[in-house]
Amino acid sequence: MTKVQETIALDLVNNPPRGSEMAKAKEFCVDLTLLLSALRRTPTERARSLSDGARVFETAKKTQLVEK
Amino acid sequence: MKLDETIRILNDAGVEFVIIGGVAMGLQGSAHLTRDIAFCYARTVKNMERLAAALAPYHPALRGAPPGLSFQFDAKAIASGLNFTLSTDLGDLDFLGEVSGLGSFQEVRAASDTKDISGIKCSVLSVEGLIKSKTAAGRPRDLYVLPELRALSELKRKTGLE
Repeated sequence: MTKVQETIALDLVNNPPRGSEMAKAKEFCVDLTLLLSALRRTPTERARSLSDGARVFETAKKTQLVEK
Repeated sequence: MKLDETIRILNDAGVEFVIIGGVAMGLQGSAHLTRDIAFCYARTVKNMERLAAALAPYHPALRGAPPGLSFQFDAKAIASGLNFTLSTDLGDLDFLGEVSGLGSFQEVRAASDTKDISGIKCSVLSVEGLIKSKTAAGRPRDLYVLPELRALSELKRKTGLE
């Protein structure tokens, strides 16, 4: 991500234009900062985050917090 | 979920696939978490043989099927079906012959981007493709993620980020 891209993205995330999809998502309680965090990472880093995140489900399954 | 390993195994076996679903969302930049990996696979005889051979060492079984149900994930079984939800030693894997809103493998691949994941070039369903498929699927859990996907699409378009 270049500095210019970072600046544009930060502005869009913090002040999404009225009527934009980002504004609608924010109203829907989507945390737009998480999108920016993900886009700062490479696809390989995103893949690792997905694998790490899936451990939450595995732990829940082991403790029967989700249906088997 | 063993995402890196699963991708490597399929790639090494020469399986033609596109990563779809929640993992595709995550690889495209969504904050969505998922516990299974979904793929769209080409339904050529050669690809179905390669897919079956690649997964055989990882004990694929139909997810949620009663214990003792006889099932072998081989090329014949794949050809007889279309979509498979499997439990394997690699985790839960879904293989879809078609994706709602997009169609068969060729259409899904046409709607995908190439991403480098741990040095492997993979086809990953694009954000626009995900929006189409989730809209067509229409289940509450699909519709729920649409605002995030549309925002992600807009953010990428306006910044040029990938």
